[in-house]
Amino acid sequence: MIQLTDVYKTFTVKDKRSRAKKRIEAVKGLSLTVKPGEIYGLLGPNGAGKSTTLRMIAGLMQADQGQIQVCGIDTLAEPEKARSVVGYLSTDLNVYGRFTPRELLRLFGEFQGVEAKVAERRGMHLLEKLQLLDFADVKMEGFSSGQKQKVSIARALLHDPKVVIFDEPTTGLDVLTAKTVLDLLRIMRAEGRSVIVSTHVMPMVDEICDRVGIIFDGALHGDASPKQVLESWNAKTLDEVFFQLAARGAAEV
Amino acid sequence: MRGALLICKKEFMELSKDRKTMFLTFLMPFILYPLIFGMMGKLNQKDVASRKGKPSRVLLVDAPKVLEPLLKADAKTFELVAAPQGDVNQAIRDQKLEMMLEVEPEASAKLVQHKTFTLKATYDQSDDSSALALKRLREAMQKQNTAWVQARLSTMGASPELAVPSRIQETDASTPGLAASKVLGAFLPYMIMLMMFAGSMQHGIYTTAGEKERGTLLSLLSTSLPRNQIIWGKLIYVFSIGLISALINLASMGIAMGRMIPAEAGAASGAGHGLGALSSIANPVTLSLTFLLMIPLGLLFANFIVLMGTQAKNTVEAGTAIMPGFMVVIVAAVFSMAPGIEKMAFLPYVPILNVSLAVRKLFSHQANALEYVIAFAMTVGLAGLLTWLSTRLLNRESALFKV
Repeated sequence: MIQLTDVYKTFTVKDKRSRAKKRIEAVKGLSLTVKPGEIYGLLGPNGAGKSTTLRMIAGLMQADQGQIQVCGIDTLAEPEKARSVVGYLSTDLNVYGRFTPRELLRLFGEFQGVEAKVAERRGMHLLEKLQLLDFADVKMEGFSSGQKQKVSIARALLHDPKVVIFDEPTTGLDVLTAKTVLDLLRIMRAEGRSVIVSTHVMPMVDEICDRVGIIFDGALHGDASPKQVLESWNAKTLDEVFFQLAARGAAEV
Repeated sequence: MRGALLICKKEFMELSKDRKTMFLTFLMPFILYPLIFGMMGKLNQKDVASRKGKPSRVLLVDAPKVLEPLLKADAKTFELVAAPQGDVNQAIRDQKLEMMLEVEPEASAKLVQHKTFTLKATYDQSDDSSALALKRLREAMQKQNTAWVQARLSTMGASPELAVPSRIQETDASTPGLAASKVLGAFLPYMIMLMMFAGSMQHGIYTTAGEKERGTLLSLLSTSLPRNQIIWGKLIYVFSIGLISALINLASMGIAMGRMIPAEAGAASGAGHGLGALSSIANPVTLSLTFLLMIPLGLLFANFIVLMGTQAKNTVEAGTAIMPGFMVVIVAAVFSMAPGIEKMAFLPYVPILNVSLAVRKLFSHQANALEYVIAFAMTVGLAGLLTWLSTRLLNRESALFKV
């Protein structure tokens, strides 16, 4: 279970020209809930606050205000404990090129406190599911971005997390690899995990998400099933909802 | 602490996968220093042998024939040569001969009259062979002058002791090998500082800013390991690699230099020969106390490198930020070799330099317990302060994410 209640996050940036400090509100009063066995799609344009929200849920960043709980653990009060139940994947993440997938998974198993034998078994099982078992003992230096992404997924799921956070999991992947990832997300839903994904790929949202929330300018719009969101915005596709939000944002400016 | 050790293990595992870096860090010093010092030693020995075995070429202008028999008699030391064409000074500078010796025309008469005559020696101080020729002349003339004085005294019917009212009896108060130990004490802090900093710098950048640049740091931070343990793990790694690197380089250099020390030099210092000479001047207590000081110093360096590395956005920025620190270390290291710094009263209170001073005094057998403790405590304090700062700064989101 993921629960966000009235979460705020502000960054201070420096304007290079005026040298003045600016406060940017990345997330404004965001509240949402992701139940076990549910895939929640977090949508929004670049810079809307998706990644910041996911990082706060993963215990990587701290909210300025509000409360975030994963499996009943307060991420602000107990970030390490929260991270132990979270599997986090982001496009910003990379793998250690000098290691083989087997070595990497064994090492991260140790980091997450997973017994060596269990980590080995679970790691190989994940690699098999991700169709990468043949490359388990090959140095990752020469891996394609898709192969690296698969290893990162295995790394994120190695400790059997109850909460899965995937930040744009199919970016840069070919159709076949993307399908493998989507299939895996479905399996995780079936296993009763709370899954939250951010994406730009609208067909993916239609295909796998039980509910979606659209972040625009740090605030959440339409926290409902994809169908309900379309109806409430009187749109045929989620892309259209996006455009309407963008037009509204431009008009407000 | 388990997390820190796991991170350290990961760093060493990553290093072990890079064979080239492994070779350059751990094996290269054992090839490089023996090669360099071996070649230097061989060349030096060859040069000394060739100079010692060769007579000095002297152009003698000696109309009264006062010195000619003396120099001719010692053909192994002096070779009389004909005047070169052109300027004699230029010929000496061109190493066509080592020295020109002009004897005063009235030398013969002055000798008989018990007066002093003058020898004019022209040589090139910047050339070792020419300087050796002068040294040989001085030695020969000292013997000859003594003989002439004795002859004069005998003619006068006086005692030979008339010209020697006193004699100096020398007693060397130094312990065996102290001179060599002092040289080592001045030289060692310089080597330790440079090797520890340089040895850990690139590894420190790779494991901090490098991880950020390669996008792997986030995967570490997303685990349940506490952040302070991640930074401590990296610190332990950077510190260990700096220490190992310094020890390997020093050991290799010590072995290579030990082999280079010729038997005569070892015997002259009273310390024996080669490796034996080195081991006698650096006893286990001195080495242990020096090693103990290296630990907080290495931690201080590792902290600085990790601190700069974690704050930098990429490896280039990290390298640029660390470089001024390296320059400070170089200046401090060079300063620590300067003669007479041990007499500066404020030096025991200057960080880094007080470590040099303490090591120097340890090797000079003048160890001062209070100064040693101050240097140790101050370096530990600074290292602790920087550890606290690094840990705090790594927790800043601006240090972790491009926000």
